[in-house]
Amino acid sequence: MKRERTTQKVDIRRYTDDPDVMTFEPTISLDKVDELPNSSPLVNRYSQIGLKNNGEQVLLILPTQAEINSDLPWSETWQELKHLLKTKEQSWQEGTKVCLVAKDRLLDARQLQTIAETLDDVKLSLATVSTNRRQTAVAAATSGYSVQQNSAQPLVEEQADEEITPSTLAEPLYLQSTVRSGVEIRHPGTIVILGDLNPGGKAIAAGDILVWGRLRGIAHAGAQGNLQCRITALKMEFTQLRIADAVARPPKLRPKRLSPELAFVTPDGIRLTDTSEFAKNYVFSKSNKAWIGKNQAK
Amino acid sequence: MSRIIVVTSGKGGVGKTTTTSNLGAALAKHNRSVALVDADFGLRNLDLLLGLEERVVYTAIDVLAGECRLAQALVKDKRIKGLVLLPAAQNRNKESVQPEQMKKIATALAKGYDYILIDCPAGIELGFRNAISAAEEALIVTTPEVAAVRDADRVIGLLEAEGVNKISLIVNRVKPLMVEENKMMSVEDVLELLGVPLIGVVPDDEKVIVATNRGEPLVLGEYESVPAQAYSNIARRLEGEKVPFLDLMANQGNIFSRLRRMFGG
Ligand SMILES: Nc1ncnc2c1ncn2[C@@H]1O[C@H](COP(=O)(O)OP(=O)(O)O)[C@@H](O)[C@H]1O
Ligand SMILES: [Mg+2]
Repeated sequence: MKRERTTQKVDIRRYTDDPDVMTFEPTISLDKVDELPNSSPLVNRYSQIGLKNNGEQVLLILPTQAEINSDLPWSETWQELKHLLKTKEQSWQEGTKVCLVAKDRLLDARQLQTIAETLDDVKLSLATVSTNRRQTAVAAATSGYSVQQNSAQPLVEEQADEEITPSTLAEPLYLQSTVRSGVEIRHPGTIVILGDLNPGGKAIAAGDILVWGRLRGIAHAGAQGNLQCRITALKMEFTQLRIADAVARPPKLRPKRLSPELAFVTPDGIRLTDTSEFAKNYVFSKSNKAWIGKNQAK
Repeated sequence: MSRIIVVTSGKGGVGKTTTTSNLGAALAKHNRSVALVDADFGLRNLDLLLGLEERVVYTAIDVLAGECRLAQALVKDKRIKGLVLLPAAQNRNKESVQPEQMKKIATALAKGYDYILIDCPAGIELGFRNAISAAEEALIVTTPEVAAVRDADRVIGLLEAEGVNKISLIVNRVKPLMVEENKMMSVEDVLELLGVPLIGVVPDDEKVIVATNRGEPLVLGEYESVPAQAYSNIARRLEGEKVPFLDLMANQGNIFSRLRRMFGG
């Protein structure tokens, strides 16, 4: 059954000769979807593996069983880990010790071994396993890792209710490769892609998304509801853009743009403008929950 | 040093098996020893395309089960020296083969042959993982269609994640007339999206289908044809020769549009 959607079309208009409204030239008109794609499962679906370097050791944080919708196969988690390690800027020293934060994930000796081998490839060494599952703790101990067993108290869920402000976001994820079809990058912070985001590829960020290349796939910024987030790309050729709960599809015909463009939320939905023009023309209005023209704000 | 190369695409029916058989034959013509491995356990047909079906006795599964020696399972192509086929079993449960086992076979073959070409099944499941497990290089076959290119992109990503970084692209079934009329993606469009080096462009040609049905790789045929030339050129490029790409668009359009194409405009 098709879901009914009420969409509100915005016309391409030139605002240049009306001083009261925005003094920019919108390059595109986009639909704002009133019925919001439910954003809460998205947050829960952060299957993103976390990697934190606290100087002495690297924390490798696996998503909880609940966060991965339980039936994500192990091979997917492992693939994601490999991808993450390959593309993440290597900010650690050779031989840095890793603490695997496995939370409630069940891991057997073989899986621990594959993780250790994968880490080995990037000169990291698995030392500690932190878990609140007895079996995992046993497997880790038998494989010779030191074990931190915690009570089954998911810290993460408590935090999920708090309002997400930029300062609580994770540090940016810097990817030095093209995101190809079938790959979905999720990150609870800003994503920077030094490459293309290809059709069939997806980037979902709690913060901003910056594509130093062609954006042809799907980008979702502010995925935890932050309307202030922006998406920018050298070439905007997207399949779909989302910012918080606003959705934009490309119009059938779009003139080729030579300069980098930036997408942001206005009271009329998502708009694009020249990236270089953005900062001087817009401010974020808390009351409008959108970016508005600076002269309009006064 | 022998080279283990997987021929893969993601999408089915784009020409992997056709490419594997023709490249194998073309490399053998260049006096290279070549072992073709049919890793498409579900829909094996490399033996068919090579016209070797009747001579298949053992398969890779028999080798793995210890029921025969590797050398016994290899079917020699009598038309050309140096070309052998390791057939896939069709009847056995394809889930019974594991990446490690495929790797063993390919590594063993690498001791006796210059090239190991692995014909990969469609999809990205176990069959795919088996086929790429031993590969050091990959040839991606795609047609200039959105879905095929999308799958090729996905497969390239998976290969890169597996550490297979030497990847080249073959664009198959190009129809110059349709490209000219803007009804088909051009080779440039495909390349620009996938971002891996091009090693061959093969036109859409019914001679390919005729040869397929006859069980005779085009490059072994009596007559020179454009697609046969295209496959030979790919073989030469694999060998490190610099061979200019066939201008399939030569007969299309006027001088200006041809110049524009040449300069990538
Ligand atoms: N360049 C071509 N021109 C015309 N037909 C082709 C060409 N390449 C492949 N074909 C045909 O397409 C079909 C599928 O090819 P095949 O090599 O079996 O694909 P795959 O192994 O990728 O599934 C076959 O019938 C083959 O003859
Ligand atoms: Mg095939």
